[in-house]
Amino acid sequence: MRSLFIRAWFAAALSGSLAAQVKPGLDTTTWVVMGEGLAAGMGNFGLSSPLQNFSFPAQAAAQMHTGMSQPLFEPPGIGNFIGTPTQEVRLHTYPQGSVRQFYSVPDSQVTSPPVFLTNLSVPQLTLTDSLSLRPAPPIAQRDMKQTTVNLILGFPQLFLDRVPLWTQFEYAQAMNPTMVLIELGYYEALDAAVNLDPARLPDPSVFGAQYATLVAGMATNHAQVIVATIPNPLDTAYFSSPATAASIVGANPSVIISDWQITAQDYVARAALSVISFQLLSASVAPLPAGSVLTASTAQDLTARINALNAQIVNVARAQRAVVWDLAGFLHQVKVGGVAAGSLTLTADYLGGFYTLDAVYPGPTGNALIANNLLSFLNATYGKGLPLIDTAKVAALDPVVLYQKPAGAPGHIIRRK
Amino acid sequence: MLAMLTASCYGSAFSIAELGTRAAGMGTAFIATADDPSAIFYNPAGIAFLPGRHMQMDALAVVGLFRFTPSATPVDQVVPANGYSGSIRPHFIPVASMYMTQQLTERMTFGFGVFVPFGLAANFTNFNDSDPALTKFVGRFAGTRAALQEYWFQPTLAYKITPNMSFGVGPAVVHTHLFIEQSILNPLDDGLTFGRDAANKFLPNLPVDEAAAILARLLPEGRSRVAGTANEFGLSAGWLYFHPRSKTSFGLMYRSAVTNHLGGKASFALGPATAIETYLPANFLYNAFPDQHVTGSFTTPATYGFGIANSRFRNTTIEADIRFQDYQRFNTVPLDFSINNASNSDIAVDPEKRLAFNFHNSINLAFGAEKPIGRTMSLRLGFMWDKSPVPDQSVGPFFPDANRLSFTVGATKKRGNRDFSLFYEAMRFENRVTNVAANDDIYTNGAYRNFAHLAGIAVHFDLGESILFGRH
Repeated sequence: MRSLFIRAWFAAALSGSLAAQVKPGLDTTTWVVMGEGLAAGMGNFGLSSPLQNFSFPAQAAAQMHTGMSQPLFEPPGIGNFIGTPTQEVRLHTYPQGSVRQFYSVPDSQVTSPPVFLTNLSVPQLTLTDSLSLRPAPPIAQRDMKQTTVNLILGFPQLFLDRVPLWTQFEYAQAMNPTMVLIELGYYEALDAAVNLDPARLPDPSVFGAQYATLVAGMATNHAQVIVATIPNPLDTAYFSSPATAASIVGANPSVIISDWQITAQDYVARAALSVISFQLLSASVAPLPAGSVLTASTAQDLTARINALNAQIVNVARAQRAVVWDLAGFLHQVKVGGVAAGSLTLTADYLGGFYTLDAVYPGPTGNALIANNLLSFLNATYGKGLPLIDTAKVAALDPVVLYQKPAGAPGHIIRRK
Repeated sequence: MLAMLTASCYGSAFSIAELGTRAAGMGTAFIATADDPSAIFYNPAGIAFLPGRHMQMDALAVVGLFRFTPSATPVDQVVPANGYSGSIRPHFIPVASMYMTQQLTERMTFGFGVFVPFGLAANFTNFNDSDPALTKFVGRFAGTRAALQEYWFQPTLAYKITPNMSFGVGPAVVHTHLFIEQSILNPLDDGLTFGRDAANKFLPNLPVDEAAAILARLLPEGRSRVAGTANEFGLSAGWLYFHPRSKTSFGLMYRSAVTNHLGGKASFALGPATAIETYLPANFLYNAFPDQHVTGSFTTPATYGFGIANSRFRNTTIEADIRFQDYQRFNTVPLDFSINNASNSDIAVDPEKRLAFNFHNSINLAFGAEKPIGRTMSLRLGFMWDKSPVPDQSVGPFFPDANRLSFTVGATKKRGNRDFSLFYEAMRFENRVTNVAANDDIYTNGAYRNFAHLAGIAVHFDLGESILFGRH
């Protein structure tokens, strides 16, 4: 005969006095990305599906067999591009069918956009915006950032009744993610760099407090939070040393330094490269437009301030059980030594194959390499066996890797008269 | 008296053996002794040898320490440092039984007993519905609470065939109450089904399985509760023979299986609203899980027992029993829902849900001894081994069971026409580790470590040797 017993609550009370155990690991079921243009898949001066499909979150998610719902935009896409004049918001015209890409629903004549996104990255979005900027009608506004937010975070929500209009932060929470990647702060760094004004970067303590709010909000969902360090814009192709600039315009470095009074430690901005080329070709050297040269001292200040923000990110991560993915470190490595993609070696120079023509956001292969770095990081951190992307296959489809600087020795094209 | 008969206990599977304090002190080895009114439960033939009128009340308290440490959990699941505790409130559960006998003639005795041979009370609810999913009991989709009480109201007639042999039979009215609760909308199971159905609508840009996994996590978690009662008939019978010269007695007992046809109510509750609900028609999920009438059935096993006792050695009674229960009858519990998706596709409830348990038959060995100390006192010792009928696949929050070893002690003090008995039982469960692939999605695989303390008290009144029909 069986006997009888009951279970007692006092054992539970005992357990309550002990620390709870949390099994560490990574569940990739619902991966939400909170970022700005880099994670959105921006490139070549805009956000559109040809590059969004190769965004590093999309490529990494495919390796994880995890759904990555992105707000794909029909070309030519949307978005202001930093370092260029603000664009007007224009309604779509033929042959563009719709701004956002629609999908046919099986067994139906209906086409529909995805109701939910998991890549919530919005070009131009700052950390403050992530916490506070929400979609607002009408969907197309004079302000490009608001319009972009509307078309990403508020589409189709702005057309529906009684549905919430979430900020990026609220949207991420609502998706009940198992894994969150935060790639924010890069736009602030780019904004300060292209305007040659490091003071435009947020105060580290304020930034840290906002970042903590963000990470804590994800932690309440018990999502595994991965925070990316902020890349230094000096590691992009947007800024070239005089020597690199000389190789791009086909001039001798000494010409760049002497004719425009640039020191060897200064940086030449992307837009200045074409100005220098035209002046050399026309043999009429004139002062470069404002914003063309980032001085060494400003560069040092910028780097120090970005490092301070990254220190805040690391501190927040330590305090809140998030893990730090050193995206900045990876892009710095690319800048210093280039990176292999199959048989190709891509560099972070302008026209080096890693970055698109905007010089700030990478091309498909660049995104694949970033995704591989992320996957390797996840494998090492969580003991996962996520397969890496075959970058040679991506490169075979990627026009960006075909970008080439002028061949030959420096100065072979243009010589000082 | 009946108000005391609240049996809410949890058993190896769900049988209860300690329904007589004297018997329990002897490790429940009592089939061949059966010399107090609790014989109505242990061996109905025994009451034939009880002269006059007797009344006995037994009360039992059980304290269980139950621990479950899952071997696999969702990533970032918060697990208590010492594993999950199964628990019920209050801290111990009283289980009461009542027996009375009345000798009718020299050969015939009538008895009546109310007892609970099957009971269950499981409670792994360590959470509120609004708590974050990863802090809740990880096995909640397999079950959170269960309660079963099977009350036997058993009139019994025993007849002395010879001065040393009797048999007894007791037809019983059996009233059963069953309650089970479990979480629903598991993102790895039924929630995924919803996700697949909704994938093309909400995430047409993703492969269906990837979309379904995302959508399943957007559903509110809920709980289903099913409560039902049944009234059936059962039967107990026994045979007892005493061989005077060798002071040896033999006993046989039988208690029938009872198939309980339940009728009751199913109710559903959903957790806090989630993101997806604002995109669904008003009350869509609420309407998908309507409260409703439910029917079902399950069978409690038959019990077959044999015992042999001897009191020749130093005036000490020594008994050994073996009991067999055909628990394989408890294989599935079908629950049939009256409002279901067979006729209305907006309903998420299937016409029938079958809870599969697939128990094995079980065996129980009991050994006990009773030694009188003087004229008014007696002491007891006992030992019992229980083979669990619960297969690995069914070990979980409802049945965190394992084979058991029990040691018991007991004593009785007689005062006038009353005697008072006590017993204590230490029940050690074998540690059990399960690893059943089919349970991966409900997270019931892991280590089960249990122990239970049982203590009981009884008062027995000898109300005189009057015979109702005839002279003594």
